[in-house]
Amino acid sequence: MRRMLPFDPMLAIDARDVAKTFRAGWIRRRDTIALRGVSLAVPRGAIVGVLGPNGAGKTTLLSIFATLLTPDRGTVTILGHDLVRDAAALRRRLNMASGRPSFLWSLRVAEIIAFYGRLYGLSGATLQHRVDELIETFELTAYRRAQYNELSTGLKQRLALAKALVNEPELLFLDEPTLGLDPDVSVRVRAHIVALRRERGMTIVLTTHYMREAEELCDQIAFIKGGLILAQGTADDLKRQIGLGDVIALRVEPPPAWLRTAPGVVRCVENDGWVECTVDDAEKRLPELLRQLYAEGRTVRNVQVKTPALEEVFVELAR
Amino acid sequence: MNWRAELVAIWAFAIRNLVMASRNVFFFFELLFWPIVGVVSIGLMSRFLALGREATAFVLLGTIALSVVQVCQLEVAYAVMFDVWSKSIKHQFLAPIGVRHLTLGSWIVGMMRGVTIFAILSVLGWWAFGVSVLAPGLVALLGFLAGCFLTAWIIGVGVCALITIFGNRAEAFAWASANMVLLLAGIYYPISVLPAPVAAVAAWIPLTHFLDAYRAHYGFTSEFAHPLAIGFALAAAYAVLAHAALVAAVRHARGSGLLLKMSE
Repeated sequence: MRRMLPFDPMLAIDARDVAKTFRAGWIRRRDTIALRGVSLAVPRGAIVGVLGPNGAGKTTLLSIFATLLTPDRGTVTILGHDLVRDAAALRRRLNMASGRPSFLWSLRVAEIIAFYGRLYGLSGATLQHRVDELIETFELTAYRRAQYNELSTGLKQRLALAKALVNEPELLFLDEPTLGLDPDVSVRVRAHIVALRRERGMTIVLTTHYMREAEELCDQIAFIKGGLILAQGTADDLKRQIGLGDVIALRVEPPPAWLRTAPGVVRCVENDGWVECTVDDAEKRLPELLRQLYAEGRTVRNVQVKTPALEEVFVELAR
Repeated sequence: MNWRAELVAIWAFAIRNLVMASRNVFFFFELLFWPIVGVVSIGLMSRFLALGREATAFVLLGTIALSVVQVCQLEVAYAVMFDVWSKSIKHQFLAPIGVRHLTLGSWIVGMMRGVTIFAILSVLGWWAFGVSVLAPGLVALLGFLAGCFLTAWIIGVGVCALITIFGNRAEAFAWASANMVLLLAGIYYPISVLPAPVAAVAAWIPLTHFLDAYRAHYGFTSEFAHPLAIGFALAAAYAVLAHAALVAAVRHARGSGLLLKMSE
């Protein structure tokens, strides 16, 4: 008998110990372990980013959540539905868009959205209204009658997003939504994503290779590598968890020797007239250091505080 | 079950296949060129061999039936093949649909194309070779066409299942499967000319029985006691098996990751 786990109604996704192995070859079997026991909780209405190097298991995890893949092990409850048993009911409430979109080559923009709309039971005036609305929202009006194979990458991406909203999902999965887009188009796509959460209260789980995008969009970030989630939290949480520390750069001549041994200072490096001290928490340590420097009568000509970028966290975790 | 949503989802695939067909240059070849070439060449061969009216009707009926089955089954196979070719198969299985929607929607278009071909080839057979395909009457004709379309649906769904299990490698089955029927189902000859073990296999093909029943109206001795009843019984059993095979294939593809692989 299946053991029922308590489900927190505030969670859109409650995944526990999810594992997946891909098997290939009939005679010489090759196993590729994609997920080794992933647990992830996604609050309702949040934007959660799943980051990690290539082959880490990001797309596999999203595909399992989107019911395109069945897990080998573990339990996943999405919007109160058991992922495996209630997959059909769940599919009505979620959707997915990929950064590498592909649709039928000779269907027109409006026909593609209408086709998928019908698969969700929409018809007649309701379908027409939804198609018109999505075409307008994603600025596709001029391309309404263009065939899919005539669209640029950016337009294909916008069409993929429009298609993913055709059933007004409560939960949206975006697999690298701005992959290969020009910066101006990426900005517009990100604005759409933010608007979806703000205006519709949609829960969004996305994967991306762009750290700035993750920092800008995501309330929470889960870092996955080798099929395991190594760290999870806000961008600031992750930076703290990794312990990269903040850097306080001071222009003070000559730098006092005690700087290296001051409380909270991990190391100091002199560089082009600056002394760069890595500290555990710049907000706490900077006033302490400045107070002592002024007390000694030293002149501090310039001060800069650098917090580590998410990219550095990524590099550290991916190492 | 919401019947309206069921019908809308089936209709979605019918519209999609119709639109795709209308923008596909091969549609012309599939719908007109090859079937007409088949009937004309077989008709001329029967004239060269100085076949009588009955024998000519025998082979032309087989040729027309094969064309109808081929075109209809190909359309059903397109239910999955279009998405495999365009690498968009994951999108349709992300939606709350079952395989019945895609196979039935495509089948509707397949039957429309099948009826069109049947009408064109019937006129051609009558005009060029004096064979009246409609002679057995409306009821017999409807039974015959229903048998052809059921056979086409079974083959088409079988091809969909194979593609869903083996991926693009199985595409060749879409075109090869109808030719297996050509060999076994007595398209150009009665199955009594086949070696006994092969004839036994032919007896398990529904189209063999539908052809046998229809040809009986032209005076050919029936090789089976109740060909229509047996044909429909076999077709019903195979339809259930083919549907179950496709459902299992999709489930397997969700487990193996092939559904995603075919979308990359």
